[in-house]
Amino acid sequence: MSDDTTTTEDAPAALPGDGLREGIVDDLRARIGDALVDSHIAPNDDVWVRVTTAGWRPAGEALKAAGFTYFCFLSGIDWMPSPYGKGEDDPDAEPVEPDTEIRQGVTGGETRLQVFARVTDLERHVGITIKADVDDDAPVVDSWSSLYAGANWHERECHEMFGIGFNGHPDLRNMYLPTEFEGYPLRKDFPLLARMVKPWPGIVDVEPMPAQDDEDAGAEGDSS
Amino acid sequence: MGLVDKGRLPAPLTKLFNMSRSYSLWVYQWGLACCAIEMGAAFGSPRYDVMRLGVIPLPASPRQADFVCVSGTVTDKMAPAVKRLWEQMPEPKYAISMGSCANCGGPYWDSYSVTKGVDQILPVDIYVPGCPPRPEALLEGIVLLQQRIKNEDMAAKWRGDEFTTLQRTRAVEAGEVDRDGELIAETHSISEDPTPDARPEPIVVGGGPIE
Amino acid sequence: MSLTDRQQLSYIASQAADARLNVELETEGMTLNIGPQHPATHGTLRIICRLDGEQVIWAEPSAGYMHRGYEKLTEVRTFPQVTTLVNRIDWLGSFANEVPFILAAEKLMEIEAPPRAQVIRTILFELSRIANVSLFLGDLGVQMGAVTPVFLAFRDREYVLNLIEGATGGRFHPNFDRIGGLKDDLPKGWIDETRQVVKKLMQFCDTIEDLLFGNEIFQSRMRGIGVIPADIAKDYGLSGPNLRASGVDWDLRRDQDLPLAWDKVDWKVWTHPDGDSWARCWIRLQETREACKIVEQLLDQIPAGPVMTKVPRIIKVPAGEAWVSTENPLGEMGYYVVSKGDLGPFRVKIRSASFNNISIVPWVLKGVYVPDVITILASLYFILGDIDR
Ligand code: SF4
Repeated sequence: MSDDTTTTEDAPAALPGDGLREGIVDDLRARIGDALVDSHIAPNDDVWVRVTTAGWRPAGEALKAAGFTYFCFLSGIDWMPSPYGKGEDDPDAEPVEPDTEIRQGVTGGETRLQVFARVTDLERHVGITIKADVDDDAPVVDSWSSLYAGANWHERECHEMFGIGFNGHPDLRNMYLPTEFEGYPLRKDFPLLARMVKPWPGIVDVEPMPAQDDEDAGAEGDSS
Repeated sequence: MGLVDKGRLPAPLTKLFNMSRSYSLWVYQWGLACCAIEMGAAFGSPRYDVMRLGVIPLPASPRQADFVCVSGTVTDKMAPAVKRLWEQMPEPKYAISMGSCANCGGPYWDSYSVTKGVDQILPVDIYVPGCPPRPEALLEGIVLLQQRIKNEDMAAKWRGDEFTTLQRTRAVEAGEVDRDGELIAETHSISEDPTPDARPEPIVVGGGPIE
Repeated sequence: MSLTDRQQLSYIASQAADARLNVELETEGMTLNIGPQHPATHGTLRIICRLDGEQVIWAEPSAGYMHRGYEKLTEVRTFPQVTTLVNRIDWLGSFANEVPFILAAEKLMEIEAPPRAQVIRTILFELSRIANVSLFLGDLGVQMGAVTPVFLAFRDREYVLNLIEGATGGRFHPNFDRIGGLKDDLPKGWIDETRQVVKKLMQFCDTIEDLLFGNEIFQSRMRGIGVIPADIAKDYGLSGPNLRASGVDWDLRRDQDLPLAWDKVDWKVWTHPDGDSWARCWIRLQETREACKIVEQLLDQIPAGPVMTKVPRIIKVPAGEAWVSTENPLGEMGYYVVSKGDLGPFRVKIRSASFNNISIVPWVLKGVYVPDVITILASLYFILGDIDR
């Protein structure tokens, strides 16, 4: 062991509390003003904020200035329920009316597609998830790639998977799929063809569960 | 090798050739995913030690390899490269498909980017099922491949029709050919009927027909 | 880090010599393609380098040869089925991949595994770290032309795999973690066997340190090569040993509050100020030792009790969003799970460590010499499934 190395034995002074998280949200609101639409704090766990589409990049800048220098990930989400279901439902069962209502998760939203990212403050040991709506007709937001270098690849991936464009991204080539590939796989309306042509093999040998032993099986669950 | 050209290789000589071929196999390892690690364990670790079977891993290029071990998930993007690799290998060549992914898509049977089985792009001789198969299973696959090579009728193979000794026995039993390999029935013509790349039935480790 | 005048002068002189040579030889650019199948790439990564003489002037990894569509597939699986998929992401440390997903599901369901399960989870987590990193340490030699370490690594890794198999039934895709606990308890005699194996692995670390880290060739191929400063590392989201080798003191095992047992034992987070290839490898070596220590201590404190809490037979996870990440062998592995109250997740974003770790390649390879490409890639340590998912 050479002497130019360091070790750390001290645990962090204290893990972040909700007070700190509220402070972060207030600080962000002070920096970007109305662009911050909504926020949500899960007690003792995590914090989410939602910003406007135009506020996506300013929010990133503000967060970086506020000490969130560690880039964790960036991705998208499609809130439309899948029109195809899981493709493994019992073929004999009554077809249920597919759910088409778009319900966004925490911090809400107005559009079907959203981008979300997570950045972390390594000093204060706290991370924040930030979301933004993406216009359904012109799904484009500003790129973070000049802000966080790591966002470059994540945005390429997001573009490929969701068809969300990123203004100012140097190079939005496909990363995973062959160039001829059509469609955006992670959008909910992208069908998994293999599931369409072949029924889920697990469905054929479904046996009824062994009779439930009331003591250990916990009646609290919803056993539909 | 004039005898071979005329398609009349004496049986003892065939046997000798086959024996030598089956114990000096160079394997090209096309490790694609998790299974590659188990393949590495089979080929590179002192516990499994594939060389005792007469198989030598790590050739310099596919052009020197006798069989290829495709282990892992073949994706649609990778498939052209796998095909090119297969084309680069000289005949006679064999393929072992290791792992559920290479056999049929495995856990990704419904994925949009995974090729559902490497047998769509190259003819597979041995399937080793498992996710991942234990190194022992791969070794058994290799032993089965060696048995297949030992049973091969080289002259028939070089003529282009695939007719191993076992298949001949079966055909004799079925009354399609007589003992000298001459056709009895018109329906199954050996020299013309099989397409040039028709290959014998693949073997599945742990099940299926074993030659 | 400041350079001495002498270093600066010699650097200028060598640059000038290079420039003269370039004028004389009129070297033309050349494109070198490494992969998609190359022993040094741990799978099917393809790296395209543009060279000027021996120097890389531009490099770009081309991923996607192993893209299996996990994120889409999780949407059509039920929660218990997802673990079967996700432990194939980083295939060398499979058990560690299951844990954050299960924790995220448990967080949404607001249940917690019983203490015994937590400790066993931590032990298996660290064992999979050992299995993963020991292969890295062995492979490191191969990248530099030394073949012995890899045989040692495969030999000693088998002991760990035997343990994992003994406990879970799978050599490296255990699928052992369940929502609410573990599938099974430990088998009889497992604890004693583990104690012995951990000792063997400690010896393995010493051997590798003697064999590789003390080797002059190794040092001169690694020291000062591929330096990544801390702020760049954070910007790219490097994690795990790669980040700690740049002097950033950040370890998710210590720095967050998870229902696992790391806070019950005494261990260290190692960092190194240099940020070069050597530092990255050295940190991994130390981490293997720390993992051995953690396992050794935890073996003495496995509490009695059940390994499974009460969960409904058919698991429906309440609607909500949760993010859980853990310090996996390769770095920060996290799952952002969105549930809508169904049997399966609505969306799972998988944040895998290698994806970020390898996105720095265009930056770090710029200006290095061709032989160093291999060592830098080796020291960054990625697994293809973890990049492409
Ligand atoms: S068969 Fe299983 S172990 Fe093998 S590559 Fe596929 S997923 Fe990985």
